[in-house]
Amino acid sequence: MVDFSLSPEAESLRDLARKFARTEMAPHAAECDRTPRFPEEIYRKAHALGLMNLNVPSEYGGSGLGLFDQCLIVEELAYACAGMTTSIIANCLALEPILLGGTPEQRSRFLSPFCASYQLASFCLTEPSGGSDAGALRTRARRDGDAYVLDGEKCFITNAPHAGLYTVFATVDPTLRHRGVTAFVVPRSAEGITPGKDEEKMGHRASSTSTVRFDKVRVPVSDRLLADGEGFGLAMRTLDQTRTPIGALATGIGQAALDHAARYALKRETFGKPIAEHQAIQIKLANMTQAVRAARLLTWQAAWTIDRGEKGTLESSVAKCFASDAALLVADEAIQTFGGYGYMKEYPVEKLLRDAKLTQIYEGANEIQRTVIARELLRGYA
Amino acid sequence: MSDVVLVVGEADGDGLAEPTREAVTVARRLAGSQGTVLGFVAGRGASGRAAGFAAIGVGQVVVADDPRWDAAPPAALARPVAAAASNAGAFAVVVGGSSFGRDLVGGVAVALGASAANGVTEAERIPEGVRVRRPVFGGRATEERRLEGGRAVLSVRPHAFPAAEGPPTSLRPEPAPNAEPAPAQLAPARTAVAAASRGAGPGLADAAIVVSGGRGLRSPEGFRLVEELAEALGAAVGASRAVTDAGWRPTSMQVGQTGRTVSPQLYIAVGISGAIQHLVGMVSSRVIVAINSDPSAPIFRVADYGLAGDLFELVPALTAEVRRVRGS
Amino acid sequence: MEIVVCVKPVPEAESRLRANASGTAPDTDGVKFVLAGYDESAVEQALLLRQAVPGSKVHAVSLGPPSRTDEVLRAALALGSDSATAAESDAPPMADPIATARGLATAIAARGPCDLLLFGKQAGDDEEGLVGGATAEALGLPFVGFVVDLRFDAAASRLRFRRSVERGEESWESPLPLAVGLQQAWNDPRTATLPAILRSRKAPLARHAAGPGAAVAAASVAERFALPPPRQGAKMIAYRDPQQAASQLVRLLREEAKVFP
Repeated sequence: MVDFSLSPEAESLRDLARKFARTEMAPHAAECDRTPRFPEEIYRKAHALGLMNLNVPSEYGGSGLGLFDQCLIVEELAYACAGMTTSIIANCLALEPILLGGTPEQRSRFLSPFCASYQLASFCLTEPSGGSDAGALRTRARRDGDAYVLDGEKCFITNAPHAGLYTVFATVDPTLRHRGVTAFVVPRSAEGITPGKDEEKMGHRASSTSTVRFDKVRVPVSDRLLADGEGFGLAMRTLDQTRTPIGALATGIGQAALDHAARYALKRETFGKPIAEHQAIQIKLANMTQAVRAARLLTWQAAWTIDRGEKGTLESSVAKCFASDAALLVADEAIQTFGGYGYMKEYPVEKLLRDAKLTQIYEGANEIQRTVIARELLRGYA
Repeated sequence: MSDVVLVVGEADGDGLAEPTREAVTVARRLAGSQGTVLGFVAGRGASGRAAGFAAIGVGQVVVADDPRWDAAPPAALARPVAAAASNAGAFAVVVGGSSFGRDLVGGVAVALGASAANGVTEAERIPEGVRVRRPVFGGRATEERRLEGGRAVLSVRPHAFPAAEGPPTSLRPEPAPNAEPAPAQLAPARTAVAAASRGAGPGLADAAIVVSGGRGLRSPEGFRLVEELAEALGAAVGASRAVTDAGWRPTSMQVGQTGRTVSPQLYIAVGISGAIQHLVGMVSSRVIVAINSDPSAPIFRVADYGLAGDLFELVPALTAEVRRVRGS
Repeated sequence: MEIVVCVKPVPEAESRLRANASGTAPDTDGVKFVLAGYDESAVEQALLLRQAVPGSKVHAVSLGPPSRTDEVLRAALALGSDSATAAESDAPPMADPIATARGLATAIAARGPCDLLLFGKQAGDDEEGLVGGATAEALGLPFVGFVVDLRFDAAASRLRFRRSVERGEESWESPLPLAVGLQQAWNDPRTATLPAILRSRKAPLARHAAGPGAAVAAASVAERFALPPPRQGAKMIAYRDPQQAASQLVRLLREEAKVFP
């Protein structure tokens, strides 16, 4: 029979994340959003506590958690600040291709030093000419002796200005479309890498996002992941792993919005009673509760499925898509519950709406998720 | 049924400390009009200190006039106190709720085979032994407990009872029974005492009035307003965690979950919003006054009297008023 | 130095406080028990001493049923304790502290050598602060409470510390062994890291039946547990100017509350 209760171990991990989120992240969330500021000191603390490289096995010095435990942690962190969470979990995304595609030698060479001290990595897939259409990459990788030479530009790259390592997807032959895509691990120290300036974003402002230019960057063959043309599959398998935690991140935003709204509704009085006693507000709170709980359960189910060794493509897409839509709805209703105050930057809920929006877009826009869901669904009927 | 209650006297200079006199009040209630309250004093010059008991009407005093007790930790007295209680057939041992008393209670209970309670606010004699009441969970709740087994050891919460008064009686000292602590229990030694500085006023733990300041005072300089008010009132000064964390004042002044718990007669919170961390350290004070610029601050929910407004105006005005009515 | 720290499971600070059905004790239904805050500081103190005195070991001991002790012992392990011992007893959360002390004393004596026995100031629930002195007496150890700034002087092989009490601050020294009740959370306890938490889940817990020592004739019996009626909220003093506010407050404190000297 299915069991929804958390093991004591899972609970202790969640408690650690909760404590960190509420004592270290939450007090700085508003300031980092407003300024905006990339709070590196918080990310260093997250690393020191083992909250950063969650998916890296302990043999390389990571935390070696399954997806379910990762999701518990990500939800707690996002409850305090989604932007910081995005920067904290960006390493999981950037290092996943090395975990999935690296040889034992590559994994040990790249992952061990990475976990030993605080460092950031960036996953470089998206390009200015197209995000969701990953087969249409323009960044070139030309073979030159025992090396490749990378040329091109990536955009919307999380943590790029601060990263020490980039996992880069480039094509050895654009005419091959996705069959030309090849993955490389490139240290920041390689010559010819130029991160752009921080983008001004609507939300997730404690995170850092920029372009990265690659100008004749030489990458030895030994730093290529898998073979030529195997990069697209690797990117897709990576995203299969990292999509579900985005559901958890969105759930954290939704839970925060719900908590703010419920507390405010009990305190704020109109027509001689707390607005929580007005049915219009009760209906809102009830809908928000349903959305958040459903988002969490779908996320848990997707994580559980993948932790059992199944692919979980349908489950993870459903979770990510539903939870991000739910986060937006719940944040929106939280603002409505606050009324005019909700629209003011002095109150915490408008940030949640801005933060929630990104979860519908990144790590596979929800349009793509729906395409995937429909494809997986119809396969069962064909 | 025994009707003897033993009170362990804590020294304060040559006399008895205030908490001991509060313990005598409780002991008298337990002993009843027919019972006997017996004093116990230890240390160099204990015989002289025994007079402090006689001055408030407790004439029969067990005296352990032995300089070894002066530098030894309070807990080292556990076996001698237990022996004295046993010898006298006491059904209860009562001590004041100071650090001295609280350190002593557990050991005496074990040595005596008794049950025990610290910080009681009520104590009554019942057929099974003694029933006590005490605040728990930082004053958020109270519990009543029956101390059974024929013997009970308890300390009295500071300020929960009036200090006992005379009439004086003649002193009838008796030597303490010969009971030695385990040799190791005499090993820790007090090497120095730095008395609280004169300007610092009474100690936080046993002050009848505490004035505490919080973040609302804005700066270490702003915090002086609180100290001036405390001085005018003869009160101890406390601080919220925000103040000690910011380094405006030392951690020893912190009132709250991670600092001290106080329960004075009057607690005045200035510029303290009332985080639960602070509330648990002061909520069992008898009367609470809150002065804060934010009328919706949670501190007003636990306070008895509230002043909302500019504390940089209100506090100096209050200090001046206190000085005026106290004629200084 | 073999350092033993006694840790108590107490209800999580955020948990709702209410009386049980019979009104004799706090309701523990659905309440999570965690390492008491003061005990967390005691563990931190032990870890600092271990760091300062090479070859030291830190042992956590907790008394109660496994459902409560195991989580706090694992928390102590995750923070860095070398071993953990559960003194098994079916005592309720706010059990008689003297019985608790006797049970702890047997477990500590059975566990092995103990040079320094540490206790937090008091637990967050019953706030007795009795167990330290009682356990020490049961073991024949000296006990000093209200201790701050505990250090080990290796050259003199003595502990040096201060005792923060009503009339000032005392300086103390003591040879080993010693039992200490710490005054407060002055040391900013560390947070256990995620890998340490995972390791602590797999670490063995030594188990010790608290035994007959825990059941003595003299015991205290909880009769009643009650929450005071919620305070009504402050009487807000309306005023024209600060002087008038001050005089009105002083008058109320004098005449109504009768606390003004």
